[in-house]
Amino acid sequence: MHEYSLVQAMFDQIDAVVAARGARSVRRVRVRIGAQAGVEPSLFHTAYDVFRVNTVCDDAPLQIVDVENSDELVLDQLVLEVP
Amino acid sequence: MCDSCGCGDPKVMPFDVHERILAANDRTARHNREHFHDHNVVAVNLMGSPGAGKTAILEATARALGHDARLGVLAGDLATDNDARRIRAAGILAETITTGSACHLDAEMVHRGLHHLPWRTLDYLFIENVGNLVCPAVYDLGQHVNVVALSVAEGEDKPIKYPLMFRKADLVLVTKIDLLPQLPEVNLDEIAHNLSFVMPRPAMLKVSAKTGEGIDQWVRWLGGIGRPRAACAAAAGAAGAR
Repeated sequence: MHEYSLVQAMFDQIDAVVAARGARSVRRVRVRIGAQAGVEPSLFHTAYDVFRVNTVCDDAPLQIVDVENSDELVLDQLVLEVP
Repeated sequence: MCDSCGCGDPKVMPFDVHERILAANDRTARHNREHFHDHNVVAVNLMGSPGAGKTAILEATARALGHDARLGVLAGDLATDNDARRIRAAGILAETITTGSACHLDAEMVHRGLHHLPWRTLDYLFIENVGNLVCPAVYDLGQHVNVVALSVAEGEDKPIKYPLMFRKADLVLVTKIDLLPQLPEVNLDEIAHNLSFVMPRPAMLKVSAKTGEGIDQWVRWLGGIGRPRAACAAAAGAAGAR
């Protein structure tokens, strides 16, 4: 169940982007998960839904792009609400 | 203007991040590796299921190699410092990294653990990971090699059931071979066969920490890893010769 640790690391990344861009909130999160990344997409999704409550990602659905023959695990894109 | 989702909201914009989610861990792991390199310490990440015999292997390693090389252990566990105490009793330096609920070690935990161990004086630092065949494989700690302990009683199919763990392994130690007379159904050739599917360079040693069988081969394998700085000097020499 390292998916919770991974989601926590992703939130650190998201917080850094939000601060750097002065965003009010995040509207969508897109990650890429390789089939050989050792990460279970459904567990990652569940962990994300637990973590995002009362954060800048409260209204941000998570989109997971499954990537064949890859071990990548990448925060790909955020859709930000900016002032 | 949002040109990504078509919502037309002028205050919404996409931002490409394209960063590995473990980027922060990887940075710390690189930092650890540089530390090990600077002080010529070989770091071994020892992984395996709970009960695979990781601690027993380290005790046997202490008996076989403890007089010839300076050994140290960082032992990761969810709770208790039993493993570190056992290893200290075997005569080598050991500290516990208590992970709480975390099912793996990460580079930051190892970095903090180093502060409690005189690791700069060591020839070999063994990082005994949390017993688990899944999560530890995902995190780089700054180690030079990954070793996975797999006991004969766990089942021959574990390499293909947990392919990521075994794909990352530089060596698999098949442990507790002293139990084989009691386990006539266990086929070591099948373990080797399954490892050949998942390991890029299959390497397996059969050992018993109890009887000491195979431990000399394990110690020889450790000796063959090559010192970090010696390897670097050799590479520089080879580059200079070209």
